[in-house]
Amino acid sequence: MALLLRGARVAVLAAFGVFFVGPLLWLVLAPTKSDHELVSRGPFTFGSIHHVALAWKHLYAFSDHIYLTWIGNSLLYAVTATAIVLVTAIPAGYCLALGSFPGRRLVLTLTLVVMMMPAAALVLPIFLELNALHLIGSVLSVILPFAFFPFGVNLAYIYYSTALPRELLDAARVDGCGEWGTFRRVALPLAKPVVALVLFFSFVSDWNNFFLPYTVLGDSKQYPIQVGLSTLLSSTPSFNPAVGGGGQQVGIFRPELALATLVAVVPVAIVFMLSQRSLVRGLVGGGVKE
Amino acid sequence: MRVARSRGLHGWRGFAFVVPYLIVLVAFGILPVLYAVKLAFTTDGGGWAGFRNFTHSAGDYRFMSALGHVLVFTSVWLSLLIVFVVTLALLLHGRASRSSAAYRFLYYIPGALAGAASVLVWLFMLDPSVSPGSFFVHHVLGAHLFVESIAPGKLPLIFAMIAFWTGAGGWVVVMYGALNTIPQELEDAARIDGAGPLTLALRIKLPLIRKWIAYMVILSFATGTQLFVEPQLVNQASLGMVPDTWSSNQLAYQLAFRYADFNSAAAISVDLLAIGLLGAVVIISRTGLFKVES
Amino acid sequence: MKQRRLWPAVVVTALAFVSACGGSSGSGSAKDGITVWVDAARLPAAQAYAKAHPDKKVHVVTFDGDGNGATTLQTKIQLWNRSGKGWPDVIFSEQANDPVWMAKAPFDFAAPLEKLIPENVRSQWPQTSTAQCTVGGKQVCLQDNLAQVVLWVNKKQMEAFGYTVPTTWQDWAALGEKVAKEHPGYIVGNIGDSFSHWIYLWGNQCPLQQLEGDKVKIDPTDDHCTRAAALFDPLIKNGTLPPLSVFTPDFAKKYGGAQDKVLLMPGPSWYAQAVFDQALHVPAGEMTAANPLQWGSESPVTTGQVGGGPWIISKHSKNSAAAADFVTWVTTVFNPTGKDARPGYPAYAPLAEKWLQALASNPYFAADPTPALKTAADQVWAGWNLVTYPDQPVWSDKVVTKMVAGDSLSSLLPTLGSALGDAAKAAGYSVVGN
Repeated sequence: MALLLRGARVAVLAAFGVFFVGPLLWLVLAPTKSDHELVSRGPFTFGSIHHVALAWKHLYAFSDHIYLTWIGNSLLYAVTATAIVLVTAIPAGYCLALGSFPGRRLVLTLTLVVMMMPAAALVLPIFLELNALHLIGSVLSVILPFAFFPFGVNLAYIYYSTALPRELLDAARVDGCGEWGTFRRVALPLAKPVVALVLFFSFVSDWNNFFLPYTVLGDSKQYPIQVGLSTLLSSTPSFNPAVGGGGQQVGIFRPELALATLVAVVPVAIVFMLSQRSLVRGLVGGGVKE
Repeated sequence: MRVARSRGLHGWRGFAFVVPYLIVLVAFGILPVLYAVKLAFTTDGGGWAGFRNFTHSAGDYRFMSALGHVLVFTSVWLSLLIVFVVTLALLLHGRASRSSAAYRFLYYIPGALAGAASVLVWLFMLDPSVSPGSFFVHHVLGAHLFVESIAPGKLPLIFAMIAFWTGAGGWVVVMYGALNTIPQELEDAARIDGAGPLTLALRIKLPLIRKWIAYMVILSFATGTQLFVEPQLVNQASLGMVPDTWSSNQLAYQLAFRYADFNSAAAISVDLLAIGLLGAVVIISRTGLFKVES
Repeated sequence: MKQRRLWPAVVVTALAFVSACGGSSGSGSAKDGITVWVDAARLPAAQAYAKAHPDKKVHVVTFDGDGNGATTLQTKIQLWNRSGKGWPDVIFSEQANDPVWMAKAPFDFAAPLEKLIPENVRSQWPQTSTAQCTVGGKQVCLQDNLAQVVLWVNKKQMEAFGYTVPTTWQDWAALGEKVAKEHPGYIVGNIGDSFSHWIYLWGNQCPLQQLEGDKVKIDPTDDHCTRAAALFDPLIKNGTLPPLSVFTPDFAKKYGGAQDKVLLMPGPSWYAQAVFDQALHVPAGEMTAANPLQWGSESPVTTGQVGGGPWIISKHSKNSAAAADFVTWVTTVFNPTGKDARPGYPAYAPLAEKWLQALASNPYFAADPTPALKTAADQVWAGWNLVTYPDQPVWSDKVVTKMVAGDSLSSLLPTLGSALGDAAKAAGYSVVGN
């Protein structure tokens, strides 16, 4: 019975592993093939390193070497915004969980309500607001809205309200969470997993955000990588016939696009691995797995 | 209850910690939402419109089909998400193992692919002639051509699959983190009482991460009804074979920017917000998400 | 504990960095120069202009080109309008119909060209091209390239099978029947692209998008539509005119490259590079172009169009003269040779002459395709007008997906007509039927 269970467990985990990784493996192999081979050869075959180098050459040359600028922009936006998110969300989540100030529930409710508003509806209001602040076209027009990350506050809130041992919780409540000392003594030592979670989700959501920078930025040199990738996508003849045969001059085909997306995933993968480590370590009371 | 009542004593003491967040919440959350709601109830000239924008947008010839699509999609996706995310998290947590971290990484990593990458990947995955999963595409989807894979009847399933592929891993990570907060003593005690791994998972662990599950359901219900990215991606990958107003949120976007009717667009967004809130209220009242005592 | 001390440091550094970079507002009409928005394929032209005019300040922004049913420009222009600033001076769009909505409320972006670019320059564009750029009696754009439909021919395969190149739709259909019997698997065209109706119905004078003032005439019961559909249906059924898109991997695998199964394919001028060379990888020395197909003995011969990206000058430009100079240069002068050659057939006739000369000697072609391209340039049917709403999603959704499922094009025409009518009404047109 136990053996059967263990077998079933491994089977389920592996099956999902294949589902999640299969398409990715295809993507990893894509730049090793030419655009033609991508269609004619088997999906999981390896082409040659030479093609990767060629694809990189084309990608690097695209639009006056703008690709690396885009990656740099994304790093700037995501890192800065995530730093602000951590400073605002962790203390807020902590005090929303343990505090007792009036309006606490209101803040929680509003956070949730705001999260449920469809992003498409907020394009115009946010644009007008940034315009009123004379920020359109500046990097702050991306960073400031990114700095608002309600999901992070919710994560911190649920974490502090479920994960803290009862004694610590009571101790903190006696203090009313209001003092820096208590925050330092109770909240921060326990914050590591939730900092990791918030850092990770905030970074990724900033890194992957397309809509906001797409609407507020007016200069291709300021684009983050996601807006850049969509420019690359629309420069790929197979995705945009309207480019009208300009493919040869632009030099971006499916293998180049695949390489561009893969390079863009690297920072996210690194942040994931870093935050994974603190996610499973340093939890309450030594009762930690792994 | 005792603790909750004693809160009043402490007054505003914790407030300062929330202030930085409140500033960004008001600036980039509440104000834009209020503005959008105002748009929904006013005319283009700024006059009061009552519910005219709502009736006008609901009368659009694409409104009902888009709403229908979204509701079918949400039910498919939500069931997938609840069943599999919880199952996978419990399985990963069932036994301390080195492979667990690797699995979590593998499950998560599609989430790092946004926009253009997904278009490229799914164009190939759904094309039976070049897909590595052509067996699956043939036999489960019954498609022999790319256009058949994205036939209208299959779209909710396809979008649910794409959304699950990109989004489930993140939730598995969150659930796993939540499971990690369960004290080891509790597990040990249950084990001494003779609880097997299955009993342990269902009787002990599952109830303890109830809040997280509720939270996931609320957010996913809302994001499900606001489906935008996946149909937009497939619209691009298929060069327009899937309409650009497939979901309600897409319709809102088209109304706003193609037809410059921001008011009707805002009305649809408020509809979606209302649906999301309704779902949230039901779930919160059932699970007590916002009660501090766990 | 480390983290606590780290945060403020990170934030301070980051903010310092940000404020250093902040405030650099990129877009918008500069006082002493112009800002131009182009897609990646038009970037070389803009850069060449800047290089040839070192005295002029040109700020180039690349964007997705608004092609493929995107709403980039709609979104951007509305936001610029709301904030009252930020408009670039010149925009290139990949969507031929963009100037139509740009010239109307609430967008009101496109400037009339009458006073900006002299008549004797503008008159060098083919008449249909100018007509497509004319909105409400005013010309508001210049097309960069023409996308006239010709009949693409795989000369090598046709000769190998001993077929002659058809000149009428009827001959073409008869050949399709023959191919189905003699060489099953080979094709004489495809009708599953989101723009296939522009090739097969536009060229055959089916009135699905005909403007009469502010009304749009949509009549799928017109004889021109029904007789064409009746001609195509047997070929769709026998597999020589598959309802598939040339841009799918599936198509490339079945008909392209090593298979080399495209015998004929009605398609726009840019198919040579974008489809046969880059998507299907048909080897060099096989393809050429023939004149657009004629319906029986009816004349004049008309053809369809797929593309024709326009240049638009902003109404809000503070430097209209410089903007006009830029647009004139990129459309009438810019003409590099060799591998940097312009991707599309230049719309400006004198430039087209030079461009065709270079193309005639291109080793990719089995025979000189330029006479056919040149003939077709003046044959685009003027009875199909550009409108503010996109018709491609309607065609794809209502017709292509159903043809794949086995329905005949003839049976789908009424659905197409009513769905196009819905789209037209939603965009504010009134619709007249038959």
